[in-house]
Amino acid sequence: MGSGVALKIDGLAVHYRDFQALRDISLEAKEGQIVSVIGANGAGKSTLLRSISGILIPSAGTIDFFGERINGLAPHETVSRGLSMVPEGRHIFPRLTVHENLLMGCYTPKSRSQRRRVLDKIFHLFPVLEARRDQMGNTLSGGEQQMLAIGRALMSEPRVILCDEISLGLAPVVIKGIYKELKSINEEGITIVLVEQDIKRSLKAAHYAYVLLQGRVVLHGEPSALREEEVRKAYFGV
Amino acid sequence: MSKIIHKSSWYLLALVLVVLGTAPAWASQYLVFFCLLCCVYLAMSQAWNLLIGFSGLFSLGQPVFIGLAGYTVAVSTNYFGLSAWTGLLLGALVCLLFALFMSLFIFRVTGIYYGIITLIFPESLLLLFSNWEYVKYAQGMFIKPPHTVSITEIYYAAFFIGFGALALVYFILRSNVGLGLMAMRDNEDVASTMGVETFRLKVYCFLLSALVTGFAGGIYYIFLVFIQPQEAFSIAWSVKLIFIVIIGGIGTIEGPIVGTFIYVFLSQYLADYFSVSMIILGAIAIAVILLAPKGITGTLQEKLKFRSLLPRRE
Amino acid sequence: MQDLIQPIINGILLGGLYAVIAIGLSTIMGIVKVMNFAHGDMMILCSYLSLAFVTFLGVSPFLAFFVIIPLMYFIGYAYQRFLLNRVLGLEMDPPLIVAFGVSIILQNVLLLAFTPDARTLMTSIGLQTITVSRHLQIPVNYLIDFLIGLAVIVCLYYFFQKSFLGRAIRAASDDEMAAKLMGVNSKVTYARAMGIATMTAGIAGILVGMTFTFYPFTGSQYLFVAFGVAIIAGLGSMRGTFVAGITLAVAQLLGGHFLGPGYQMISGHMVLLIVLLVKPKGIFGTV
Repeated sequence: MGSGVALKIDGLAVHYRDFQALRDISLEAKEGQIVSVIGANGAGKSTLLRSISGILIPSAGTIDFFGERINGLAPHETVSRGLSMVPEGRHIFPRLTVHENLLMGCYTPKSRSQRRRVLDKIFHLFPVLEARRDQMGNTLSGGEQQMLAIGRALMSEPRVILCDEISLGLAPVVIKGIYKELKSINEEGITIVLVEQDIKRSLKAAHYAYVLLQGRVVLHGEPSALREEEVRKAYFGV
Repeated sequence: MSKIIHKSSWYLLALVLVVLGTAPAWASQYLVFFCLLCCVYLAMSQAWNLLIGFSGLFSLGQPVFIGLAGYTVAVSTNYFGLSAWTGLLLGALVCLLFALFMSLFIFRVTGIYYGIITLIFPESLLLLFSNWEYVKYAQGMFIKPPHTVSITEIYYAAFFIGFGALALVYFILRSNVGLGLMAMRDNEDVASTMGVETFRLKVYCFLLSALVTGFAGGIYYIFLVFIQPQEAFSIAWSVKLIFIVIIGGIGTIEGPIVGTFIYVFLSQYLADYFSVSMIILGAIAIAVILLAPKGITGTLQEKLKFRSLLPRRE
Repeated sequence: MQDLIQPIINGILLGGLYAVIAIGLSTIMGIVKVMNFAHGDMMILCSYLSLAFVTFLGVSPFLAFFVIIPLMYFIGYAYQRFLLNRVLGLEMDPPLIVAFGVSIILQNVLLLAFTPDARTLMTSIGLQTITVSRHLQIPVNYLIDFLIGLAVIVCLYYFFQKSFLGRAIRAASDDEMAAKLMGVNSKVTYARAMGIATMTAGIAGILVGMTFTFYPFTGSQYLFVAFGVAIIAGLGSMRGTFVAGITLAVAQLLGGHFLGPGYQMISGHMVLLIVLLVKPKGIFGTV
């Protein structure tokens, strides 16, 4: 693991008009870690990721990316700094082919020049994508779409990937495979922020975990140090 | 505060009603003309506001009804010797039927296409009437009813349709239909899942606006005595309606009232310059949409937090 | 039967032009989801600008392609970036009103600047015809329109398939949020897409000017042509747009042949309305 702090969030607050979705969130992801953010529906997990990537503008607080302040930046500005997101629901481009979807992943000028090399890497990581290279995105199965979404996020060779509920709607055996890939991606030094509803799996994969409830961090620590009972209580707000 | 504004707007409205209602008695001929135009545009703009502000229908087809009503009056009086008012009623009927016909096409497509599809109709009718011998091609027709209609008669017809349209829209919005409309405007999909029959509502609104616009247009031409296709079916009508409703405030009842007065006032200065007036109206409408999209009354309502002519039950 | 060959062949050639007229409108409808009322008027604006250019410099209209068309890109870019982008959002009406307003302003500015007289960019080459047989004479300007139109469509096709910007435009029209996450600046990308659409409108405008006469309100006529083609084609298919262009043109010319030249435009409108009744999503629609 690297020694730097990849992502540091301090006192983050996010509002949807009058509704406060996130309150005083403080979170840290060290370089090379897998950090889990767990919580029930509506806890604010997706809101958190969207604020980091720039889709939402926080109303208060700061987000530092490798020491650089990025809160308030537009998505295309965070991407060019090495931040990638696999959005909830995958959001692959349905009328673009698998190949074109991946090419969109390296849209930023910096990553464009590397595309052939990185494309080979992704196809190596997810051979099924190479097999379906010229098929339209919307003809892929759920698991394949998820792999495509992750592969696409990797095309820009990011330093940090935000994964929003990547196991949603997938069969357990498929999820197992994806988590295996996630691990090998992380072993190359990429920091991963993993947002999940599935407590067990994400705790197993993570180096550090945060539990969100109604927009607040209510529990955090290394998974080995957290008792399952504690986590469950925090998750449900008991 | 809002109670005071609420009360005073009703007084203001009553004042306007009295002033306009008695205009032929005290006003000069020129002023009567001014007031008549206000009434006509008031009716048309309330009708159009019902479509765009409350039903989400960007219709550029209103000139169809203005022209059809006007021509029905012209044909009935010239060729069949009917009175102007009979012609007007027939005109309204023709508009209703044509609106039904248009509905076949308009509501088949998604909202993004309403504008251009509704635009096809006045453009086509313009071409057809300009090439039609029966209505004397593009030279136009004079409207000569068997007994001449007095200015006072025409004026009160206009007054009736103008404030009638206002009252009609007010009561519609207060009713269950109105609730459905506003729900539809806010979120059509959600509204339909809640049982609002969006398709039927849209058609009703469209038919109603066709009727009102037809009446107003017919009265306008009874007054003007002369009708030509390039004026009757002209896109200029839509430009004026857009200006009135946008500057007044989309989706408010007060908006078209304010907008009408501003427009009729402005048009006196722009009377001789057609192109310049189109450019100015268009530019102002764009500027208002960009900078103060809710128009005068909408912005005022937002800032002062009130609704003067509250269409909803308290 | 044999005297139908002329209008049909004319229709096929004219269809190429119609496809170019339509493609800009169709693209913008699919991407930015706005009905650009000003599309036809942008075309005619370019016809007038080329006219001024040709008149003042005394050069051939073909040169206008190289000078005026790049200008059209910036006009379209500015239009999207500074006007339309500001009102894109949840409500559908403001962009329509802005587009309609720009259309009216353009028409009347052209009217004031150039008077309502009919103008043309016709060249002497264009007026010639190639005689194929007793029943068939191919007008050279229709042929030029067809060839240039085909070239434009093919170039656009490759642009959207192979280039990064083209792909980004397609991605943004599929899923704007996901495209943003890829680093696509949607505001700038939409402006570029409008710039390209306006360039094609400009090319169409010059072609129209070289083939027919035009005056300030011709834009509306061609807006309906563009819209007609777009509806018949359905959104999202280049090939469909080309075929739809030919379909509409042939329908118009056959209508004019059977009913009289004054009914040419109306025949087109009729076909449009019929397609709307029968297949509202278009014949080739992929959306």
